[in-house]
Amino acid sequence: MNSVTTMPATTHETSVPVDLEYLSEGLDQLGIGLLAFDQDERLTYSNQSAIDMVALDNADSDERPHLVQMAGVFGSSLSSAVEEVRQGSSRSVRHGLHCSNQHGRHMLIDLSCLPFCSMNNDSCVIALLHDVRQRHQFSDDTKFLRQELQILTDVAAALSSSSELVQILKVILTGATAAQGLGFNRAFLFLYQQGTNELIGHMALGPVSAEEAGNIWKDLDAMRLSLEELLDSNQSDTGERLDAITDLITDFRVRLDDESAIGRACHDSSWLNLAISDDTDNLTSAFAQQLNTDKLALVPMVSKGNLMGLLAADNQITGRPISDEAVQLLQVLANQAAVAMERARLYDNQLERSRELERTNQLLAESQDQIIKFEKMSVIGELTSAIAHELRNPLTVIGGFANLMLKSTLPDENREYLNIISSEIRRAETVLDQVLDFSRASKGENHPIDFSGLVRRSLDLLKSRLARRELPMFLSQASEPLTVFGNSDQLSHAVYQFLKLVAEELTPPGEAEVRTELRDGQALMLIKIRRPDHEREQVRRTLERIITQNRSSQRLTILVAGETIRYHGGNFGIACGDDNLPSLYIELPLIKEQPSEPTHTGG
Amino acid sequence: MSPHILVVDDDDGIRVLYQTELAGEGYQVTVVDSGRTALAAVSERQFAVIILDIDMPDMSGIEALTHLRKASPETPVILNTAYSIYKQDFQSWLADAYVMKSSDLEPLKKKIKELIDSVEHKCQP
Repeated sequence: MNSVTTMPATTHETSVPVDLEYLSEGLDQLGIGLLAFDQDERLTYSNQSAIDMVALDNADSDERPHLVQMAGVFGSSLSSAVEEVRQGSSRSVRHGLHCSNQHGRHMLIDLSCLPFCSMNNDSCVIALLHDVRQRHQFSDDTKFLRQELQILTDVAAALSSSSELVQILKVILTGATAAQGLGFNRAFLFLYQQGTNELIGHMALGPVSAEEAGNIWKDLDAMRLSLEELLDSNQSDTGERLDAITDLITDFRVRLDDESAIGRACHDSSWLNLAISDDTDNLTSAFAQQLNTDKLALVPMVSKGNLMGLLAADNQITGRPISDEAVQLLQVLANQAAVAMERARLYDNQLERSRELERTNQLLAESQDQIIKFEKMSVIGELTSAIAHELRNPLTVIGGFANLMLKSTLPDENREYLNIISSEIRRAETVLDQVLDFSRASKGENHPIDFSGLVRRSLDLLKSRLARRELPMFLSQASEPLTVFGNSDQLSHAVYQFLKLVAEELTPPGEAEVRTELRDGQALMLIKIRRPDHEREQVRRTLERIITQNRSSQRLTILVAGETIRYHGGNFGIACGDDNLPSLYIELPLIKEQPSEPTHTGG
Repeated sequence: MSPHILVVDDDDGIRVLYQTELAGEGYQVTVVDSGRTALAAVSERQFAVIILDIDMPDMSGIEALTHLRKASPETPVILNTAYSIYKQDFQSWLADAYVMKSSDLEPLKKKIKELIDSVEHKCQP
């Protein structure tokens, strides 16, 4: 409603001459219009702001406009205010005059009329025109810009603190959909796959229905979080409900082409404020249809000229129109996101390389240890071979002569002694056989080895040599490949010796299951003894005796076999599994990286 | 006439043992201590079987085997050694048999008999 104020005149207030040119310059800068009228109510002066407001096309013509001619703009308000001043009022004010000029400009004018004395001492009335709508508009614009800046700052801060792609994508979608952010109802994120030139649905945020939207937005509103707090917050129940919309685009692929609007937007890196119509190309229509919408904003995500994805947003729930300004702001958000995604990708690459280097270093260190161990084994093998050979001849001669003498006629006492010599020589020769086997194995080279195959072949070999009275053995082989690294001859020898000792020490009833399996990154061989329950403790003691080398005849065998396992980074011992069956186990580290195909050693 | 066996081994004890044992079995036995003397012996007479050690100084049994095969292609040779590893040396495949040294001489005596029987069987009209 307009308000009118009239001040009574005071003496001499109009007598001071004022330079209108000087005054109008200052008023122009403030956007305030100035009109000066003489005694005949003709316009004697106007500044540029007033010309723009009143739209006086003939302001510069010879004939000066009359106050009455401005009634089209100000109605009677200006005339009456001027008249009041002419009648003696020191000021006549009108607030909130709704005016329109002939150019269609709508204004909300605050009008002040004052008496005035020109430099020529001519008395006149001046009118000051202030379009307060501009001021309100400016204030609204400033507020809006401040909000946009705040949104971008909050999003940028959230993006800069995250190097994980998933987290970055969530920040983008949250920034686009949060009421404290850009306020879109829903946002969808597609990642670009360069090889196939496809956009692939990856993640989305928003309610799945209007009803759900009401509940979620109510809950979010109740939380009273700022955008910064919302971006920082972890997944809540509300967040999970908003994620459900991702199902709409999961596995949805769009092959881009330059004929479609969506393809051009991606390849030209330009945003789209899209309203689907009959003229819309099929690809773009199908895209919108997949999202159940017909109005949506599309902004490509581009970093260093490379398309990284596409962000789509709409107001499908509220039906609120999407302004170009909102899409432009979404584009700024997408640009930030693209840079963050690129940074995350580089970070991931760097991290992967760093891990690779760490793995390589570890492998190198382990290889060095292994090489040293294998070198030692090789030297030990050569040494034992030489000793064994030197011992073989004297043993053969002593034993041979003892046997020869046993064929002759001897006193019983001497025969008994010769029998002892012969028997001990035979035992010593058995030990030498084992040492020579080990020595031979030490000369082999190291390769990746199929551990299950090695166990199978060792067991087959043993079965062919087992007498009927020994414990029957059967194999359960791991379904997955168990590749270990080392000397297959050495390991075969060690595995064979363990199997042989178990088979010889344990007799029926019962059976032994030889089982290979993957456990905790190790290749495992278990020799599980199945015997009646009451004999389990006895079985456990027998196995214990085997591995603790309690029998002198087995001492060297177990020593060599055990050391071979340890030299290969493995271990052996007695275990009792969930089934309570006592078992002897051998474990060896699985190969980390396979330089070549596993060696299949001959039987 | 009993078959004549040549024993080639650089170890004195082995030579005495084999000579005693094989003579006891009814064979004629000649013992020499190196590959060179073995080649000389073969050039002088025909043997039914040669028992040849491998690890010897001067000339190894494997090398001697090659020469013996040329000098007397019909004579069976038994490689007799402390090392099983020589079984994998393809040159050792030239031998008719490979017997590991042991105080139990039965496997060796069995192999000698087999080879002599086999040669005699071939020579029968």
